[in-house]
Amino acid sequence: MRRLARIGAVVGLAAAAVFPLFPLYWMFISSVKSPAELSEIPPTWWPRELTFDAYTTVFDVVPFGSAMANSVLIAGVGTLSVLVTSIGAGYVFAKYRFRGRDALFWTLVGTMFLPPIVTLVPLYWMVSSLGLADSYLGVLLPWLANPFGIFLMRQFCLDVPDELIDAARVDGAGELRILWTVVVPLLRPAVVTLAVFAFVYYWNSFLWPLSVLQSDDKFPVVLALSQLLSYATSVRYQSVVMAGALVASIPTIVVFLLTQRVFIQNISRTGVK
Amino acid sequence: MTNVQHQRRGARGHRGAGTLLLSPALVITGAFVFVPIVLTAWISLHEWSMYTPMSEMRWLGLDNYEALWASGNFRSALWHTVVYALMVVGITLPLAFLLAMLLYFPSVRGRHVVRTILFATYVVPTIAVALVWGNLYAPGYGPLDQMVMALGLDSVGWISDPDVALFSIALFNVWQMLGYYTVLLIAGLTQVPAEVFEAARIDGAGWWRQTVSIIIPLLRPTLVFVAMIAVINSIQVFDPVYLLTQGGPSDATNVLTFEIQRTAFQFGLAGQASAMAMSLLLVLLVLAGTILAARRLRGTR
Repeated sequence: MRRLARIGAVVGLAAAAVFPLFPLYWMFISSVKSPAELSEIPPTWWPRELTFDAYTTVFDVVPFGSAMANSVLIAGVGTLSVLVTSIGAGYVFAKYRFRGRDALFWTLVGTMFLPPIVTLVPLYWMVSSLGLADSYLGVLLPWLANPFGIFLMRQFCLDVPDELIDAARVDGAGELRILWTVVVPLLRPAVVTLAVFAFVYYWNSFLWPLSVLQSDDKFPVVLALSQLLSYATSVRYQSVVMAGALVASIPTIVVFLLTQRVFIQNISRTGVK
Repeated sequence: MTNVQHQRRGARGHRGAGTLLLSPALVITGAFVFVPIVLTAWISLHEWSMYTPMSEMRWLGLDNYEALWASGNFRSALWHTVVYALMVVGITLPLAFLLAMLLYFPSVRGRHVVRTILFATYVVPTIAVALVWGNLYAPGYGPLDQMVMALGLDSVGWISDPDVALFSIALFNVWQMLGYYTVLLIAGLTQVPAEVFEAARIDGAGWWRQTVSIIIPLLRPTLVFVAMIAVINSIQVFDPVYLLTQGGPSDATNVLTFEIQRTAFQFGLAGQASAMAMSLLLVLLVLAGTILAARRLRGTR
């Protein structure tokens, strides 16, 4: 009976690993098949010959290289800004006392549950009346702060002992100095977690850039990908689309794998607290 | 000196710094979340194409809302969103619970690797994997259809059959979010004291009994939280619909976010789109209010 349960657990775990991996596997093998092999029915489950032509073609048919650079820029600046605004706000919400603090905090955090579509139309109008439609800055403006970031930083700042902050104050350190030299070093796991979260979130965001940007030289890579789809009218060109999808996924996967232990642990903590 | 006194004095002395640290987040959230909510409400009372200046808005009162309920489009988009959310929660929650139990209890090697793999789908760009799923769902030659036909069944119109397409979009979401929810549930399980399981085992409670009468009740806050996140996430579904079905076939996957976006940006009917957005917000507020009230009721009992 015990043995049976153990076998069941192993089989279950194997299934749990195959289910997420299969589409990623399919993405890879479809990107390295030749056009002739791609149009075969039934499809081959393991490519007979590998060709990496699609990985150069994808950079020719759409401006894929500049799209990657655009994504790095937009997601990078967005992430930096979220870190700065969230650490500041999280610290104040955790360690300062002022009237209406908790009401203000929970109101801000409540907007975490607001579907972005609710504010899409006026946001577009605001951005375009500022003359920022079809610009990086237009995409970035609403991304400079994030309620989840504020929430995460406040939760972690609560764990910073008051004594440390008080001691630094007695020593005559200014608040910004205390934040930078005493608090932020203690927050390192939280900072890493938020950085990965924000980077992945902004890298993958589609709806807002789609609504704001028009010229393809400003497109982030997810928009370039959706353009690729119109190129792949024939199954023969699927390898190009899959190569694009794979290249576009590499940065987020790498960032995640490098930090996964800390990231998963801290993201899961947010659900318990 | 007590902590509280000290903190108060500190707060007074450092008010300037506090304002400096807090205001960027406040100003940005105020300008790009709270102001737009008010604007959405205002625009929803007008006829306006967002590609013309706001001075050309025409006052309509509640006409947009009346038009919404008269038009089948909005009602069907709302209905599709509800069905989609129910499918997602109905499939994901039991699966995630099962996986969480599997990854938390037995001491099998490779658990952490499986957890990382499961979670990884969450970080891959939705657009990128939606392209792959479009491929998996391909009629006839797609691998999913091949598997189905290998079982001797008929080819399924995964995204071309109006009866199946919404389910296929939901299945894609299950694939992407399952690991995230599993990890949240594992974190919930770690909060359950080990003695509880020990006690149950000594009492001779079987595995099934133990799960149903001990683990699920203790895990309920996390289960509710995950269900809530899954519903909120379901309302936002847009990328796979935009990429794979454009709301079709015959509007079967026309969900709210897609309908609002195209009403505003493709048809230029910003007033109508805003009325839909406001209706969605009101529905969510009523839901949130109900949940909070239920929780308070339970608390007083």
